[in-house]
Amino acid sequence: MSETLTITIDGKECVCEKGEFLYDVAKRNGIFIPVLCRSDAFADHRACCRVCIVEMEDRGWRKVVTACVYPVEKECAFYTQSEKIKEERAVVMALLAHRAPESDRIGQMAKFFGGEEGFERLVSVDGEKCILCGLCVQACDSLGTGAISTVNRGTEKEVDTPYGNPSSSCVGCLSCANVCPTGAIEYQEDETTRTIWNRAFERAYCESCGKPMGTKESVAFAAKQAGVEESRMCDECRKRALADEMMKTYRYV
Amino acid sequence: MTEVDQTSTIREIIENYPADRRYALAAMQDMQRRFNYIPEDGLEMLSERLGCPKAQLYAMATFYKALSLKPKGQHIIKICNGTACHLRGSVNLATELKRDLGIDPGETTADGMFSVEYVNCLGSCALSPVMVVDGTYYNKLRVDQIPGILESYSATKPEDVTNHD
Repeated sequence: MSETLTITIDGKECVCEKGEFLYDVAKRNGIFIPVLCRSDAFADHRACCRVCIVEMEDRGWRKVVTACVYPVEKECAFYTQSEKIKEERAVVMALLAHRAPESDRIGQMAKFFGGEEGFERLVSVDGEKCILCGLCVQACDSLGTGAISTVNRGTEKEVDTPYGNPSSSCVGCLSCANVCPTGAIEYQEDETTRTIWNRAFERAYCESCGKPMGTKESVAFAAKQAGVEESRMCDECRKRALADEMMKTYRYV
Repeated sequence: MTEVDQTSTIREIIENYPADRRYALAAMQDMQRRFNYIPEDGLEMLSERLGCPKAQLYAMATFYKALSLKPKGQHIIKICNGTACHLRGSVNLATELKRDLGIDPGETTADGMFSVEYVNCLGSCALSPVMVVDGTYYNKLRVDQIPGILESYSATKPEDVTNHD
């Protein structure tokens, strides 16, 4: 058992373990900290959207930290709604809103956190939705596919497959699109095919109930990763089939 | 260079290093030196050897300015565009090169002889404006000297040119 600390967040006393990320402590105690580039699916976070900034006070010294990746190491106070934070968060939201003007979520957040008025001099990036947080790349890497990455740098940086070609590593699982906080990754879908990152995939359906199960490639990839035989039924149907079989086998036991 | 040659050269470069991800950059630099660019096959083979996604290597190759994914010319002309050179008219050098070769910085001539690029500072500010062709420095350059310099390089046949390390 590691050491426990008592910290205050917005005046509320919270108990946490040493080294725990501030965001997790706040969430457990019902204190809201806005985030964009964070997904609970991963253990490590990158804090590049900067929306999760909070102010920390220790022995009279104050500094701004990102709650997502700030490990609580000693007993101190945090403020999520101080004047300084409100002001800085407004700037962050204004910058994000001009980076990704097409994203509804960013637009709403900018409005809510005061990132709309007073920033008229900023120039918007036309038709952009992506804030380059890299969550999609992290998702793709963590699955073991590693089909996309951030390419180029500076103002030309973007997320893409190598050479912008259809990637042979991509399985069309939509993890990147689902994890994206701004809905920037586009895909098309009809009855038989799903197209993402310029590549068309054949969709897979459960043989028993007909429920969609992603793409043929993603089903095969998942089976290969897990070291099991490729399933043709969805989880529910497979469980039911297994139960039925057990019933038959052990009926007279 | 034939395709078979290229493949075996790439293999040679890659197998110089242990199969560990931290050697990715070193191997890519070697490829850059050897071919003046990184061929797609090179990325493919390197990703197989190191067991890391091709996308990650592609990200590195696009991040570093020293690495190129497009074939470069036989001769690489670098125009210094650092503060001192910029003030002393490096843009005029680029304009003159555009007049002679028909290409802007970042491009390669159709015959594959010359590539022109801007670099940020060569550290020779006292000699500005500076232009470097295949590692040879031309100092305090005047625009009217450029056609002569290009002439001297055009004369060399591609066969005579080996890699300039």
